[in-house]
Amino acid sequence: MKALDIIFGLALAIGGLLVPLSGDAYLMGLVFQLAMWIALAQSWSMLSSTTGYLSLGHAVFYGIGAYVCVLLTGVVPFGVALAAGAAASAVFAGLIGLPVLRVQGPYFVILTYGLAELVRNVVMRIESALGSFGRMIFMVPSFEVLVWCMVALGILATLGAAAVRHSALGAGLAAIRENEVAAETVGVPVARLKLLAFVASATIPGAVGGLALLRTGYFEPAQAFDPVISFTIVTMALVGGTETVRGPVLGALGFTLLSEALWSSLPQLYMIVLGLTLIAFILFVPRGLSGLADRALGRG
Amino acid sequence: MAFLDVRGVSKRFGGLMALNNVDMSVEKGEIFGLMGANGAGKTTLFSVIAGHVAPTTGEVHFNGRRITGLSPSRICRAGICRTFQIVRPFAGLSVEENVRVAAIYGSGRGRSGASRDTLVNEALEAVGLTRQRAGLAGGLTLSGQKRLEIARALATGADLVMLDEVMAGLNPTEIGEMLETLAELRRSRGITFVIVEHVIGALMTLSDRILVLHHGERIAFGTPEEIGRNKHVEEVYFG
Repeated sequence: MKALDIIFGLALAIGGLLVPLSGDAYLMGLVFQLAMWIALAQSWSMLSSTTGYLSLGHAVFYGIGAYVCVLLTGVVPFGVALAAGAAASAVFAGLIGLPVLRVQGPYFVILTYGLAELVRNVVMRIESALGSFGRMIFMVPSFEVLVWCMVALGILATLGAAAVRHSALGAGLAAIRENEVAAETVGVPVARLKLLAFVASATIPGAVGGLALLRTGYFEPAQAFDPVISFTIVTMALVGGTETVRGPVLGALGFTLLSEALWSSLPQLYMIVLGLTLIAFILFVPRGLSGLADRALGRG
Repeated sequence: MAFLDVRGVSKRFGGLMALNNVDMSVEKGEIFGLMGANGAGKTTLFSVIAGHVAPTTGEVHFNGRRITGLSPSRICRAGICRTFQIVRPFAGLSVEENVRVAAIYGSGRGRSGASRDTLVNEALEAVGLTRQRAGLAGGLTLSGQKRLEIARALATGADLVMLDEVMAGLNPTEIGEMLETLAELRRSRGITFVIVEHVIGALMTLSDRILVLHHGERIAFGTPEEIGRNKHVEEVYFG
């Protein structure tokens, strides 16, 4: 299975990096979407799959990245703007992490959702107070470059998630998920590790938000902080499976292809299908697509 | 100063004085027994020493260093680890993974991979869980989970291990094995133990010295023979 995972991952990565050479706008758009969701779902898994602290507010990191990026585009090179977006998300996570991560279970879920909505509304107020109703950006890099950057983020997030899982940090986070008091008792610095995972899971989404903004060329806070982004991340990660690094990739792949199929014919069905699939998987396939793949290949 | 020095520790929970000005000195390498009826304050005392509960007044010193107010994980890394009377396994992880986390983060952290493996293997071997190491911790029997608690504490590399009723729920054969295991660990690794036990026979056999608590107060202290002859202990303990 492990060798198969690596071959599958390499094929996806190389395929993604080659697509811009074809110049096919539709394919590039598809790869851009796919890489974006892989990057987001993998980042989410660094905190939520490992510790069981389910974040329903990851749109906030995406939105902060987009906002910082739109403010800086034209002022600094776009690569710097993206890095600043990622850094801003990381700093924000670091600032709110300690108090937020003291809250557990469903309260954590609600708190992360509420915080994301709070930030969304604050940014909307600031923007309207400034008399700005959406910002246009010009001088964006070519779409090919954006696709390459997004694929790179997808790869980075996947490698990051794998590194977290297979390190001492991952062992500590798993102990926290299983029993926080016992983890603390055997020496795991619980508060510090949770904060570390939170910051790690917030960083790449910041850059992703910036890239997505550069693609559309238009910033509108309600869109950049759209809670549907959070819901989609959680759905993809859960449907893909939280037990493996392969899970978020499969989840993102499944939903991106599904949405492509539905957008063209029945766009209004997309959200309904998203919801139904999530319910079905939670009830009947708790180990997700990743677990199904194991079973299909005769392991586990 | 003693290896573990508890000085004038009190703990008030609302109107209840769970611990009242308790002193306790544990020497390096000894097995120290804590005795007392339900509600005597034994577990609270463990929690104060391990950092889970802050004392209302008083101080705890370990190895010449004041540890009052440190977080449980820092106290663990300083060399003290406790077990829980109500077991807290990492149920979804394998037995070996349970023990390995302790080896990675406990006071034995910073060891090389090989010596960490040794720590894990020795801990599993000591409590007889080597054969079940690949299975899920949640699938162990209660006795198995009690032994896993001990294995985890050992794997942290702790110099002082506090065992909270690890014999409760074990049958006489298992208790006999556990007594041997603990005595052997003290001999071979020089680990100091503080033991809370309801199984009084086991406590009397194993302990070098025993402290008796009653309603949060220290009422007797001495060798098992002295405690056995103590009329006051007999009154409060056996009625």
